[in-house]
Amino acid sequence: MTIFASTFFDLDVNVQLVVSGLALGAIYSVVALGFVLVEKSTAVLNLAVGEFLMLGSYFGVAFFMERQTNFFVGTFVITMIMALFGLVIHYGIMRPMVGQGFFAIVLATIGIATVIRAVVQMKFGPLEKGNLTALPTGTIEVAGANIRWVDIIVMLVVAASVGAFLAFYSLTRTGLHMRAVASNIEAAAGVGIDPDRAYAVTWAMAIGIAGLGGVMLGHFTPSINPGLAAIGLRAFPAAAIGGFTSVGGSIIGGLIVGVIEQLAGGHLGTKWREPVAFGILFLVLIFKPTGLFGQKDLERV
Amino acid sequence: MNDTIATEAPEDPQRPSVKRTPPARRALPFLVALASPVILDNIGWNPFGGWKILAGFIILIAVGWFAWSSAERDPDDPRLALKLWHRPDQRALSAMTCLVLVALPFILATDFDPPMDFPWNTWFRIVNYIVLFALGAGAFNLLAGYTGQLSMAHAAFLMIGTIVGAHIGIIWGQSFWLCIPIAAFAGAALGALFGLPALRLRGLYLMLATIGVHFIVLLIWKEYLVHYFGFGGVQFAAPNIPSWLHWIPGINSEDGEFLINTQFRWFWLNLAITSLGLLFIVNVIRSREGRAFAAVRDRDISATLLGINVARSKIVSFAISSAMVSVSGCLLSYYNRARSEDSFTLEQVLDYGIIIVVGGFMGIQGAIFGSIFFFALPMYFEWMREELPFISDIDFFSRYAGEVDLAIRGILVVVVLVWRPDGLAGLWQSAKAKLLRLFDSQAGTVQ
Repeated sequence: MTIFASTFFDLDVNVQLVVSGLALGAIYSVVALGFVLVEKSTAVLNLAVGEFLMLGSYFGVAFFMERQTNFFVGTFVITMIMALFGLVIHYGIMRPMVGQGFFAIVLATIGIATVIRAVVQMKFGPLEKGNLTALPTGTIEVAGANIRWVDIIVMLVVAASVGAFLAFYSLTRTGLHMRAVASNIEAAAGVGIDPDRAYAVTWAMAIGIAGLGGVMLGHFTPSINPGLAAIGLRAFPAAAIGGFTSVGGSIIGGLIVGVIEQLAGGHLGTKWREPVAFGILFLVLIFKPTGLFGQKDLERV
Repeated sequence: MNDTIATEAPEDPQRPSVKRTPPARRALPFLVALASPVILDNIGWNPFGGWKILAGFIILIAVGWFAWSSAERDPDDPRLALKLWHRPDQRALSAMTCLVLVALPFILATDFDPPMDFPWNTWFRIVNYIVLFALGAGAFNLLAGYTGQLSMAHAAFLMIGTIVGAHIGIIWGQSFWLCIPIAAFAGAALGALFGLPALRLRGLYLMLATIGVHFIVLLIWKEYLVHYFGFGGVQFAAPNIPSWLHWIPGINSEDGEFLINTQFRWFWLNLAITSLGLLFIVNVIRSREGRAFAAVRDRDISATLLGINVARSKIVSFAISSAMVSVSGCLLSYYNRARSEDSFTLEQVLDYGIIIVVGGFMGIQGAIFGSIFFFALPMYFEWMREELPFISDIDFFSRYAGEVDLAIRGILVVVVLVWRPDGLAGLWQSAKAKLLRLFDSQAGTVQ
């Protein structure tokens, strides 16, 4: 049995895999960003993040495929709708559940995920849709490799929006409030910051970002189906590599996971993608639980 | 000196009086509960069909009252509180549960006309799944709820049980009865191995590491399946009770073999293994080991100060839970008859999570209530959709049957978690406490 295909050392194949891995990784980063943001601020492990991503893709179907909306307008509207969902989740579910156990809240997010999956299948049917085509679909040749325009644009859009988010997070007053609440909620409340509002903004931004990622994913994948929600699981290795407490680290972690996964899938066969990604997760957690950029939290007994 | 004072103290009317009953008297209601459905079935009295359901209820109440009145009470004996099912209400309920469980297959196997076409016969499969999933959920609860180690490698152990069952039962052609203990040992050994990350990681981190375990075992399962059975998946044969056991009453051998291939026969096997497994878990929880698990859950560093070997506790918890899950995986595979590449998903782990959290995070009751919630409710909705006049008229429900069920389940999970954090078991406990106060003014004091 040959484990490696003969294309293992071909430059153009590897360039192609790396570029598409970077595009995939950009989507993973977006997912991981939304995940880490919620985890860090509100200590809620949002397992529904993949379903929100899928919901974003299906909103893309509704806007770009069925209504032929302009790409920028459609993306903006989808992000806003998803942000609204984030507010609903915060005020409707997460706030009444404050003080409950970690696993109960995780299960509540799974309940949300179940509802989203059911509603999406009711509205759009169980059959898969073709991918979105609101972006240019051709390829460009770089260093002998055919690179899809979609990959490049996905990376650019994700870079721009993540940059905008990081600027918001680190420069504005609301972003400062979010960081303060994430770092120490009692102290933040003590100096007059409203944690409830900061949580609401966090949820809105996290879900809005997931919706944006969903639109990008809809352009990137060959077909849109309810199984896309499985991508949400990749937020975990990405976030683990970055360290769960680092917002910036999750982006780099997402890129690393995307590239490694595409390389493993291209050279070893697609069934190796998940084991490789989660094997990395396992090793990182065992040997460096704080990830590359995370900070070690001290605990009092 | 104190003894004389205690004996001469005036009788307090608020305190439950001392009551001693001989063991035979205490065991009698349970024997009646276990035997009466079988006897009624054997004398041809089609049990509980039609109007006789009233007679069934009378027997049920009688058994409950019998067990209640024969319970031991002694508020000054601390050893009594350590016994399983010592309180009158617990004894009554467990005797009634025994009766219901033994009578259930006989009821489900008869085809009487139920009111409003309630589909009893199709419920047999659901009941079997509830019994099987209760074992896996109870084991999950021991690990996640009782020891506080959130593991997502649950489906991985289902896979390990299935691999053991397939390899010993099919490739090596050995008996099914050999698969179950070997699945338990394999599950325990691999559970101790995969539990090693728990020594370093906690909470969220452990959960994610065990997701890694899940995907690694999933790859092994897929490779195993393709290597030995091809892409079509594996087909399990019905287990066979060996001929030297055919003297047991109730086993009537047709041409020398007795296959467990009907829902009725499966029920007894599932019930026996699940009862033993859950009893084992309950006894672990009551023992020193179980109290150490609870200490590790509450604060592992404080547990070390109490002299508890935290590493050992975590590993033992992983091993016990994994052994149970592996057995339930082996049984489930034989019960399902077919397993393919896509039989085990991460969603299954989340299903078990829903079962234990909706049912109640701690205790075995939660696992049972959660399994009933998880399986019986969709069935009930299906019946409502087809038979109830107002609901079956709505075209939307019948067109999107599966999706509506999924949505209702998701909404119910969120509602239960927001409204009742201790789950259905907590709901049951508070309802029971209220009910008991009606019967017995002393019930609230004996906790």
